[in-house]
Amino acid sequence: MAEEKLTPHTATPFRTVGRSALLTLPMLLWSLLIFTPVLRQHDTAHSLGTLLVILFTNFLFFKMMRTGKTYRWRRYFFVAVGLLFPVGFISSLLALRGSMSIPIERMVSGDTPFCFMVTPMLLIPAALTRTLIFPGAILPTESNPHSIAAMIGLWFAMTLVMGKAWCSYGCFFGGIEEGFASLCKRPHIRKIDSRFRLVPWAVLLLVVLLSAALFEPFYCSWLCPFKAVTEFSAVHSVETAIQTGIFILLFAALVVILPLLTKKRTQCAFFCPFGAFQSLFNKINLFEIRVDRERCVECSACLTACPTMAITPESLREGKTELNCMKCGACVDVCRKGAAVWHLKGTRIGMKPERVRLFFLFGAWALSTMFGGYILSNAIATLIHFLPLR
Amino acid sequence: MLAATSLRILAPMGEALLLGLTTGPVCLASCGPVVVPWMLARPQQMRTQIRDLLCFLAARLAGYMLFAFGAWWMGTEITSLFAPRAWTIGGIQILLALSLLFFSVGWPRLHCHAKKTNAQLVQIDERKKHSGAISLGFLTGINFCPPFLVASVRAAQLEQLPAALLFFLCFFVGTVVWFAPYLFLGFIKRSQACVQVARIAAILLACWYGIVGASTLIVRIFHG
Repeated sequence: MAEEKLTPHTATPFRTVGRSALLTLPMLLWSLLIFTPVLRQHDTAHSLGTLLVILFTNFLFFKMMRTGKTYRWRRYFFVAVGLLFPVGFISSLLALRGSMSIPIERMVSGDTPFCFMVTPMLLIPAALTRTLIFPGAILPTESNPHSIAAMIGLWFAMTLVMGKAWCSYGCFFGGIEEGFASLCKRPHIRKIDSRFRLVPWAVLLLVVLLSAALFEPFYCSWLCPFKAVTEFSAVHSVETAIQTGIFILLFAALVVILPLLTKKRTQCAFFCPFGAFQSLFNKINLFEIRVDRERCVECSACLTACPTMAITPESLREGKTELNCMKCGACVDVCRKGAAVWHLKGTRIGMKPERVRLFFLFGAWALSTMFGGYILSNAIATLIHFLPLR
Repeated sequence: MLAATSLRILAPMGEALLLGLTTGPVCLASCGPVVVPWMLARPQQMRTQIRDLLCFLAARLAGYMLFAFGAWWMGTEITSLFAPRAWTIGGIQILLALSLLFFSVGWPRLHCHAKKTNAQLVQIDERKKHSGAISLGFLTGINFCPPFLVASVRAAQLEQLPAALLFFLCFFVGTVVWFAPYLFLGFIKRSQACVQVARIAAILLACWYGIVGASTLIVRIFHG
């Protein structure tokens, strides 16, 4: 049902082919600029992968311009990144270490790839002791390019541009559950208590405090569902066995089963502490989604469509979205009255929303294709290596 | 002679005070997971917050004193104090989990609480008076955090019981200074969402303490 609602309202395209192509041109030039070094340096598999990524991302952007819709085309890219990230990452781990588990000597030597999820957990220990509680290198090394400084810098740049939209354009974990959420046509569980939206804040409070107490990134050691598809500590004790069990259970429940049953991004909406932390940056970000009260007929289509329950009846009455809105565009696309609109803070609601959408999309798409594009091309190259084509 | 005696008494006290002051941030961080959700789930009144924190600290001091007595009693055979460590840690963690559930969340009346308003929640909490602060403070007091273990080893080397107790008292005073930031929790606005977030965090924390405590005991039972 939600899928039907997310298709264009009318058969008439939003823009002509020529205008859409013209608007896609800057994005094409940008992707050529950032991917040309990869095309030159790597082998055939990487070149082919990169070429496919350039075509794929620009086709999606063209469709966004042509149809005036965001959610559906963004989702194709986001799900592709989410599903293919483990392919490239795990194969790299297997090639480097021969295993998905991190040996203790790798941790001691600071060779663990940094994940942006750790960022909020670093703050208190760093403030109290000037120590980074992550077994990774601050600057990139040959064996570990995903260093702390590089990843935090990249995340911060993207956050300044997108705010919480990082969670629907940049996060390579969210795409996995969005893929599962899009598999079923109708949600089997419709009624979800809105208090579950508070759980990510509680998990954030918990992981920040326990990381400071235990002097280790608690979320990574105990709660990260995505450890099941990336890397984890080698199982060598009862404690690590329990931790691995928790990772698998959380992944199965929050990333696979519940998205299938609810058609919501349950891990992002009801668990992810980094998502809660990221919500704070929505306060300083210029772009947001607002609801024009004069146009709204309170059909609740936006409430149903929102994958993270960021629109509640209360927020709808105020013409706002909640702090956890990740600007995926589902509510805007589904609103038949054009009441849900892209909005630039400080301007009147409903003032040139398409122009605001364009400004937002140019920044968000440019950064997410840069970040996710490398993930995609790497994964495609890995798959080509495994295919009997070569 | 008098100066030498005074120095013999005062030197360990100064050492304990310095130990408390320097390791205070670790104490602050160690007690944070228990103190922060518990205090945030309580009413937003500065006087109440101060009173609760003082109760918590007094109970923590009682835990310290009990441990000081144990350390002194074991004396040079300090290693025997750590032999049943797994049992003690596991037991403390399970008790801490139950206390957190009971005093922060109101278990076993959890389902009733979910339907109550903030005002009613506060009333229920008030009925428990200081028992939450006392039990949580005592359990964190006897917890095996790194500064605490250092202090217990030093206290065990002292010849007399009053000296050991005084050593832990001074160590406690040194660490207490670092607890002042927790008073600022009283300034955080208590919306219903804030109270619920604190309560959910307490439930999750209790689950974690429960799992860790149970696994510690299970390992001890099966592996000796």
